[in-house]
Parts: sequence; C-alpha cells; structure tokens
Amino acid sequence: MVRPITMPKLGQSEEVGTLVRWRKKVGDTVAKGDILFEIETDKALLEVESFFEGTLLKTIVQEGATVPINTTVGFVGDPGEAIPEVAAQPRFEGSAAPPPTPGPAAQPRLPGSAALTLAPARPISTPVEAALVAARPAAQSLRAAGREQPQGLPLQQVAQAGLPRSAAFTPAPEVFRISPRAAKLARESAIDPSPIAGTGPYGRIVERDVKKYLEAKGYYQFRITPAAKRLAAKENIDILTLDGKNASGRITVGVVERAIAEKPQTMSRMRQVIASRLTESFTSTPHFFVTVAVDMTELINFRSELKAQGAPYTVTDFIVKAVALSLVEFPVVNSTTDGKTIRWHSKVHLGLAVNLEQGLVVPVIRAAEELSLAELHDCASELIAKARAGKLTPDEMGGSTFTISNMGMLDIENFTAIINPGESAILAVSSTLKQPVFKDGQIVVRDIMKMTLSSDHRIIDGATAARFSNAIKQKLEEISLWKRLA
Amino acid sequence: METFGVVVIGAGPGGYPAAIRAAQVGASVALVEREYLGGTCLNWGCIPSKALIHTSDLYAQMRSSASLGLKGESVSFDYAAMAERKDQVVRGLRNGVKQLLAANGVKVFEGTASFENRKRIVVNSKSGNIAIGAEKTIIATGATSSMPGFLPRHERVVESRAFLDLKSVPSRVLVLGGGVIGCEFACMLAQLGVQVTIVEILEDVVAFLDADIRRELRRQMERTLSIRVLTGTSLENIKADEHAARGAAGEEVLEADLLLAALGRKPVTQELQLENAGLKTNPQGFIEVDEYGTTQVSTIYAIGDVTGGPQLAHAATSQGLVAAQNACTRHRRKNEKCIPYCIFTSPEVGAVGLTEQEAQKQGREVKTGKFNFGALGKAQAIGHPSGFVKWIADAKTKQLLGAQVIGVQATDLIAEATIAIRSELTATELAQTIHSHPTLAEAWMEAADVLLGEPIHTIAKRARFSSMRSFNMQEGGSLGYSGAPLF
Repeated sequence: MVRPITMPKLGQSEEVGTLVRWRKKVGDTVAKGDILFEIETDKALLEVESFFEGTLLKTIVQEGATVPINTTVGFVGDPGEAIPEVAAQPRFEGSAAPPPTPGPAAQPRLPGSAALTLAPARPISTPVEAALVAARPAAQSLRAAGREQPQGLPLQQVAQAGLPRSAAFTPAPEVFRISPRAAKLARESAIDPSPIAGTGPYGRIVERDVKKYLEAKGYYQFRITPAAKRLAAKENIDILTLDGKNASGRITVGVVERAIAEKPQTMSRMRQVIASRLTESFTSTPHFFVTVAVDMTELINFRSELKAQGAPYTVTDFIVKAVALSLVEFPVVNSTTDGKTIRWHSKVHLGLAVNLEQGLVVPVIRAAEELSLAELHDCASELIAKARAGKLTPDEMGGSTFTISNMGMLDIENFTAIINPGESAILAVSSTLKQPVFKDGQIVVRDIMKMTLSSDHRIIDGATAARFSNAIKQKLEEISLWKRLA
Repeated sequence: METFGVVVIGAGPGGYPAAIRAAQVGASVALVEREYLGGTCLNWGCIPSKALIHTSDLYAQMRSSASLGLKGESVSFDYAAMAERKDQVVRGLRNGVKQLLAANGVKVFEGTASFENRKRIVVNSKSGNIAIGAEKTIIATGATSSMPGFLPRHERVVESRAFLDLKSVPSRVLVLGGGVIGCEFACMLAQLGVQVTIVEILEDVVAFLDADIRRELRRQMERTLSIRVLTGTSLENIKADEHAARGAAGEEVLEADLLLAALGRKPVTQELQLENAGLKTNPQGFIEVDEYGTTQVSTIYAIGDVTGGPQLAHAATSQGLVAAQNACTRHRRKNEKCIPYCIFTSPEVGAVGLTEQEAQKQGREVKTGKFNFGALGKAQAIGHPSGFVKWIADAKTKQLLGAQVIGVQATDLIAEATIAIRSELTATELAQTIHSHPTLAEAWMEAADVLLGEPIHTIAKRARFSSMRSFNMQEGGSLGYSGAPLF
C-alpha cells in the first residue's frame, strides 16, 4: 500500500519545515524507524523516522525546499505500485535548483542570470523570508522589509547592502540593458558588466562598450591562465576585482579559488535565526552588567567528597540550583517587560545555553524551583545530551524565563552574555581559576569563579542586580546549605 | 680563510646549476664535491643508464626489424664496448660541467664538506682540511642506494651504481624492487636477452602511476620482454655464493647470476655534521625545507634528494635554481610544484600532475580523455602502435590537472603536457592548438578531443553505432580505432 510521508509538526510554533537532506534514495528499502530525511527548524536540525515499511517510491519535495507542515514530501510503498497524483503544493521555496550545500538558502538568486529569467510569475519568497515568517514576531519588521522589495527580490541582497564589495558579483537588479554579444563577451571575460556605461539605444550596453571598458581597466594586460578565466566565469567572479596575483604576476586558478572562498555564503537557517534574535535583543533591550567573584573552593571540595561517595553532581548542577533558589527570592528577575507592562512568571523555566558546532541551542528545565538537586542533575544532563545529539524538540527549547550561559570549561576569566529574547536577565558563568585572595588577613590561593549578570535595565535596577548576583554567590559559598540539599 | 657569498655542497644535477645561477646573479660561489662533478645523475644514474638503454633498445628493435623490411636478425652486441661508450659519454659531459663552472667563475673544492658552524664549512680533501666561510649555504648532497642489512655483501649482489660498473652481462638477473630503477634495468637487460625476474613487495610495479598505465607497462614487460614479474611478494632468505645469488619467493627458490637491489635511496647527510649548524634531519633522515627551499636555519638551503620529495634530477635542478635565486636576490620564488616523471622502461612512461586516483581522492570531479597510439598515423608509420596518452581534467572547468603517457618517446612527449598543466591550460585550448602532422604529439590533441567528447580519430561513446561492435572496445568508454588511420 502506498503511504504518503508528510512534513511533521515538531513544535507548537512551527508552521513550516525545511527539508535539508534525504537520507534515503528513491528505490531504497525503508524499515520502520529508519531515518528518511533531515529537517531544519528555526532551532535545530532533526531527523525524521519512517512509520512505515516498504520502498521509497518517490520524493516530491527536494532538498533545500521549505514547505508547510503536513505537506506530502514523498511516498513509501511496494515497488511498482501506482503513486497518487499530488495536488500542487504551495511552495515556500522554488525548488527548481536544489542548492548544493546543506542549508535551505545556499545560493542567493542572481537576478539577470538564468535564475531570474526562469523565475515563475507567481510570487515566491526566499527561504530566508520563510525562515523569518516561521520564526518570531520579532522578525516581522524584517519580513516586511523583504516584501517591500520590488519584484520580490531576495532578502539576501538587502542583507548584502553596505558590505564591502567582494570579488563575487551579482549583476545589477534593475532593468539591465545589454546586447547578447556584449553579455557573451562579459561572460567570457569573466567580468561584471553592470558598471559599464551603455552607448546603445536606451543606454543599452553593446559589445564595443565592453571592449572599451576592458581596455580602460587594463584587462588586456592581465596574465590570466585559461583555466583561471574559465573558473572565474563559471563562478561569477569578476576578474577586475581580484587582488593578489601570484608570485609570477599571473592570475592563476589559486587566485580565483581564493576569491570563491571569500564569496558571501548564506548562513544556515539556525544561524540566521540566532543572528536576528540576538540583534533584536541587544538593540532593543538596555543591557547592563554586574560581575561578582565567587569563592568556589569549599564547594569544589564538597563536590569531590560527594563524587567519591558516588554522587554524580557537576558544578553546573549547584549553579542551576542556586540560581533557581535566588529567582524565587527575586521575582522581578523572573519577570519580563514590553516597556509598558511587567509580567511575573510564577514558575522558573531555566534555559541552559549549549554550544553546538552549528550554533547555540537553549534547552529549558521546566519548573526548576520545584526540583531537587538530584532531579535538576538528571534533567539537565538529559537535555544537554539531547542537545548535543541534535534530538531536542522545539518545545524543549522554548518558554524559558531566565538563562544560564556556562563557559566554565572554556578557560575564560569573565564574559558578558546577551539576554535571551523574552527574558530579563542572563547569567554568564566563567571558569573557576586559582587566584590569590585576601582572606583573614592573609593572601591565600582560592578557586575563584566570576559570574556576570546581564539585566534589562527597564525593570531591573542596579541594586537589584547586585543583590540578586550576591544571593547566588552567597548560596554557592555557603557549604552548610549544600550539605542540607545534597 | 676565504669567504664566499654562497657555498654549494654537492655537484649533482641540483648543486652545480645552483652554483652557476648564484654566480650569474653576482655572488662569489664555492662548490664542494667529494667525488665527480655531475653527481649521481651524470656518473651513476640517468646518463650512463640511458646510454646503455639506448643501445639495448636499438638492439631489440633490430632483432625484430623484419616487419620493417630490414634483415638485421643476426645482429649481436659487445657489452664491454657498450660500457666503454657509456663511460665516454659520461666523461664528455663531466668535462662540460667543469668548463661551465670555470666559465662562470665558480671555485670548485674537491673533498667532503662538514659544518663547523652556520657560517664556516670545513672541506676535508686529499691535501688536508680547508676552512671556508659561507654567508649562505645550499645543501645538495643527494641520496645513495639503500642496501638493507638483510642483503648479503657479495659481488653477486649489487645496487645500481655497482651494476653500471659491470663490464659484462650475466645471463640471469634477479631484480629486487619493482620501482622506477628496478623496472628500467630489468627492461634493458631483457632487451639484451637476459632472463629477468622482478620481485616487488607492493601489489604492483611503479605503484604511483595510474592503474591503466601500470597494467600496460606490466603487460609489455611480461609479454614482449618475457620478464617474470612477481608482485605482492617478498624475497626471503637471500644468499649469495660463487655459483649464484638465491632467494625464496614464497615456496619457490629463485636463482640468478646476479641480484640487483633497487630498494629506494637514502639521503646523504652523515659527514655534514648538521648539528654544528643547528640543523636536524627528520625521522626519515631527510633535511626538511619550506616551499622556498629554506631549512630551519634561514641562511641554509637544501635541495634535491636530500630533502625527500620526488627524487628526480630535474626537480633538483629546478629547486637548485630557486634556492640560488632566493639566497642571492630579493626576488624570492617558491619551488615549482608541477614536476614531470620520466621512466625509461620499454615502453617508456611519462607522467605529470595528478593521477586520476589522486584527483578523485582530493574529492574533485574529474574527466579523462585517453587516446591510443594505435589510431595515430605516425605511430603506425614508425611501427610503434602500442600505448596511449591520457589527460585528467577538472570536470567543471576542463582544466588539465594531470597527464600520463606510455609508449614510444613518452619521456619526451610529457614535456608538452607539463607546460599545459603548469600554465593551467584547459582541454579546449589544447584541443584547439594545431599539432603538426604526422607526429606522436598529436595524441595529446586527440586525447583532449576525447575528453571534450568530440574526437576525430576515435569513436565517441555517444556516437557509437551497433555496426561498430567489431572495433576493439577500450576502457574509458571510447572505442579504440585500431584499423588504418584516416589520413
């Protein structure tokens, strides 16, 4: 029996999903539980397993395409079975040219190139835009900006405006008049014709304009190897902008390859969401920072004792507990504001920033204030393991009221963090370092850990931040508390 | 103490050109050599072996010349005379080097050099020790045949240098090592009618070549020259006495009049006392250099076999010229990377750039174009229709990345491919370049056409018709046109 496979809904807020990569090819046999494809949401890469057995008969959605949830992406069944017709899907991404690199928006479309002439009449939005539609209300202004572009121009170009001009070029977007012969000469010479002043009818660029331009730019003095020229033409690298000829004064393949490597690359959707959310937070929230130094010597000793007895606690567990307790004492830190109202959260949903190769994810410990140290430990280690394996569901990554960013393992003295959007503060935990400290009239060596609280000054005053930071510090330094809790 | 701008240690194919170039750009130059000018290449390597191979090749051709309309089957050879001619050639060239050095004002010291410190070198010569000062030094001491301990020290066990000193040929020879040197000597001996067995521990002879070239080389060595080639086999329990040299290859005991060891070459650094200059060799014994030829000590350069790398005379020459320029001028140059290989087997082999396997290993998408000499008018006319040329190109840009050729004059033909690859030409340019007719070099143009899918003298895959089944199908998709050429 032929069964459709659909784009799954992975979280409350998900409207669309991007199919990053098919893990099975058409004709492959599929067992229940086999991974069929990978999808990317605004928070993570996820693997989608098959509920059925059979053979992958057809794939409808191509790699890189973003489609609404519940869209049929392919069919599993017995070989030779007839595949039902699929009604045209509202595509979020024209999938005529699947991008060669993972990530939904690997290549910017080049207006004026083949991609534009093939562009369908119906309005298509770019994956970047789709990502932002799916992301957060915060992104709406950006989306609107995208809509306002004439002819539905890719946001990519908006994003590139103001960047220094790189060797990679995309021909000018407005009506660009160039004769076929002139275009051919420009293409074969591997140059960007857009700066050329046309002398043909209506300012059309004709062949002699390109020739004059090349002459004026000293193009014919370049010693460019044939293979380098061919490569530049294929990769849209403008030879006139290349710098750094090689030692013998030639433009070689190596020089062009460097320029290709320097081309702007579209960020993964995850990275784009991180970028927009952090920019939003840092530019719209007035941050200020308070740093305290915590003497961790006794807690570390205590933890070693516990460890010797077989208890699994990490230093992070103690910090999480201390923060949860302090947030109960300081409800304002566990509140949020839109600038006009304050909203208090009765539960402490504690986000833990976890660094992955692809970017940052923030799994959330729900109702952390209700959990014992042992429960916190289990919950935190499970979430972190899931995050590292890329198995977090979107619901496990949303709704936090406060976040801890622990870079203790990265050997740093101190750092500040940017508040996670939707929260009022974030605690940046640095490494515990041996330092000379003045204690009881003597200089002694102690294990000192610096913590910096970033706060939203609209609702948290300096004194509150100081008291809150010191409340955490005192808890971490008070060993009798931990003897009671552990 | 006399002080020189540049002191070059070793007068091989790397050292003496380095000395000449340094003198040309104005430096005062000393060249230290403990044996003969010209080094291994001129005295015990390239030149003498090619002198012998030329004669053996001509002899083999004459013996099989009936098909060309000659009656030369009764030809015979005098190995002693061949050896004497070889020595004459060597003497003449050595004298030429001497004159070149003198004309360029290079002062030659005979003796063994060792470092006293970075700027002072002692030459231990027959007339005693001479200390010379060196602002810059170029180490070009080369390499020597390695004779591992398991080989008995006996007159029936020789390496290449001792082999070249022989005044007669034995009737059965066991060649240990199927690399370049082993295969070249094996072919030469087989052409002279010697019964030759090659024993190679690796899975194939000359392992760095592409598989199709190796297959053709091995086929010719085995079928045409009747050489016995044992690969993936080690020779154990090697013994030599006054009757024979013997070794066990698996169950079988191989016996021969002479065992020629061709087991690679090891760098010559022992007497240099590198530690006095603050230099160390790497675990393999080579002196490591950067891409400008500089050692860890900025005033000391090293070139050629002593630095590891391809162990080719022409590579050493190029590196020598680069090092001389870098030592004496402000225009620093990097060592060339596009180095052709020439193998003087029968048939000859030439190779340059990436092999197909290497290119694929780099994750490149490649396209190849192969053209058989059999379809070339000139190759048919001169009676050498076997072998082929092959281009390896980037599939996207058609940039020529590598070339290999096996067949007559392959070692000369590779020069064109070397220029094309170094200049980053594409298959299109090569195919559009007029090649004079009738020549063997046309094969490059034809192979470029094959690569581009529009060959003239062979049938492209896409243009194949069922009626052409009778043609000899070649691998790589093209049909080798083995009949008469079109013109």
